[in-house]
Amino acid sequence: MKRFNSTRISRLLILGFAMSLITTANQAVAQTASEPVLLTSCGQSPGPVRLKIFLQKDAIAFDYNLQAKAEDLIARKKEGKPYKSVIIVTGASLKGMGAAGVSMDDELTRTKALITEAKKQGIKIIGSHIEGMARRSQGASTGDNTDEMSIDAVCTVCDLMIVKKEGDSDGRFTTISKGKNIPLILFEMNTEIEGVLKKVFTK
Amino acid sequence: MDRKDILRKSLIGLAGLVVMTVAGISFYQHRHYKEEVVISDQVKVKKLADYFPELSGSVNDCNIYMVEGSEPGATIMVLAGSHPEEPAGRLAGWILVEHAKMQKGRLIVVLSTNRSGTTVTRPSGAYPQLYTIPTTWGGQKFRMGDRWTNPLDQWPDPEVYIHYPSRQNLAYMDIRNLNRAWPGRANGTLTERTTFAFMNLIRQEKVDVVIDMHEAELQYPVINTIVTHEKGQDLATMASMTLTDFEGFSIGTEFSPVNLHGLSHREIGDHSDAISLLLEAPEPFLDATRGITGEKQLLEGKDAFVVKAGKHGLLYAPIDENGWPIAKRVGRHTSTVLQILQSWNEFHPEKEIVCEGVPKYKELIEKGVGAFLIDPKTAGKGKVIFE
Repeated sequence: MKRFNSTRISRLLILGFAMSLITTANQAVAQTASEPVLLTSCGQSPGPVRLKIFLQKDAIAFDYNLQAKAEDLIARKKEGKPYKSVIIVTGASLKGMGAAGVSMDDELTRTKALITEAKKQGIKIIGSHIEGMARRSQGASTGDNTDEMSIDAVCTVCDLMIVKKEGDSDGRFTTISKGKNIPLILFEMNTEIEGVLKKVFTK
Repeated sequence: MDRKDILRKSLIGLAGLVVMTVAGISFYQHRHYKEEVVISDQVKVKKLADYFPELSGSVNDCNIYMVEGSEPGATIMVLAGSHPEEPAGRLAGWILVEHAKMQKGRLIVVLSTNRSGTTVTRPSGAYPQLYTIPTTWGGQKFRMGDRWTNPLDQWPDPEVYIHYPSRQNLAYMDIRNLNRAWPGRANGTLTERTTFAFMNLIRQEKVDVVIDMHEAELQYPVINTIVTHEKGQDLATMASMTLTDFEGFSIGTEFSPVNLHGLSHREIGDHSDAISLLLEAPEPFLDATRGITGEKQLLEGKDAFVVKAGKHGLLYAPIDENGWPIAKRVGRHTSTVLQILQSWNEFHPEKEIVCEGVPKYKELIEKGVGAFLIDPKTAGKGKVIFE
């Protein structure tokens, strides 16, 4: 039987420990973002208001624009005050889109352009789903896949996901997270959103 | 025409007369049934015509219950019976009037917002005219109503209903739908004059928030939710999040569409300083695929056909064999109203409203609605009001 060299084992252990520290640090970095933030929607659901309330409460610098366009990011950059993060809340509301006078196709086109510009400027993109299953299959009529379309448009290409755990009951966001290697922060209670945002936007 | 024909026609005529008489008596009894409300010393009762005298003496000159606290604060108005075929709102309103003890601020409750609509049921809908909530003292009867103003009070309907003042074309029968007639007008139909009077009330009493309580069929996408005007988005969202976290039921929010006119959540917010919110609880009784529309279905909310529709993915709210019993629906409303008051306080600590004594969702499910209806026989002199 081959004898283990204790020095080699020690070196391996130290290397493993260092690697885990680096991974943890990377994960921590991946789960943080900077101000100022642009908060918007893909699907015009009321979800963004939930984040807005806690962003206000935590005094995180943000703009709230449910129909934010790529041009808004460009304009801020020109002003010399570029956004550092953009949060796009997914989930569609026919009432909300009707109120805004837009269709799901309009929303997808606008969001795609917004994401392209954000990536160009190196802005961190946070994809979010806040309202649980009521804003997914449970609240959608047969054949209505607008909620899922907005999730596909944002969550598969974002840098970080913040999702209500109940809305991930079918593992939809966990699968995206694992498949695309996108960090995922799950929260259970709505009141936990405040803590999540504080952690993400650590000053 | 021989004697045989005369006899045959007379018998048919007589049979028609008997049917008309029996139906007429039944309609009369329903229209004039007096529902009893027991009020405390804290409650003052006004009439809607106090805010628009031209409404005086009409069927829609309803009671306005003012529950005033000892300390000043916000004024919140709760409307029940905008659609009187949605009983959970009216029963929640009853409980508020009979139990609310205001410490700060003022609660205004209306139990028959469209009183005319409480005096008729849907033609050919085979609805029960009255329903009884069981209590330990024998039960209390309530009028079942319709979605629309009674045609006896407002008729005929036009070919097209043009909403005032937006001039939006709405479904013709919705000219009698109180929740398509906001903000109303002084020289309009009875329904429009009613909402006009309420708008006067909202402005004169400086109401901060109006909450309009409704129920919806499970096949309607706007259900288990708070529909909010732009001014109320933060308030409704905070209430919805807190209720979903801590109250044992899930309730969402929806934005009031800017271009859909006549609805309370749109017009009250647009035409006054008040925030306007509308609550929707589930009522399987209203579903198109329901079974028998009897009192049992109305109160238990159980329906095998609606359950089957759910299995086919046709519903926007869950349902199983346990249905949506009235206590659950009423409890959703009382808890949501109370939470809106609490959330208001978080945003407006300088103008708080504090209400005690009203049972919430879990208590209502545990004890039933009847446990919170006060026996009129036990009430003091002048403390029973009729709706």
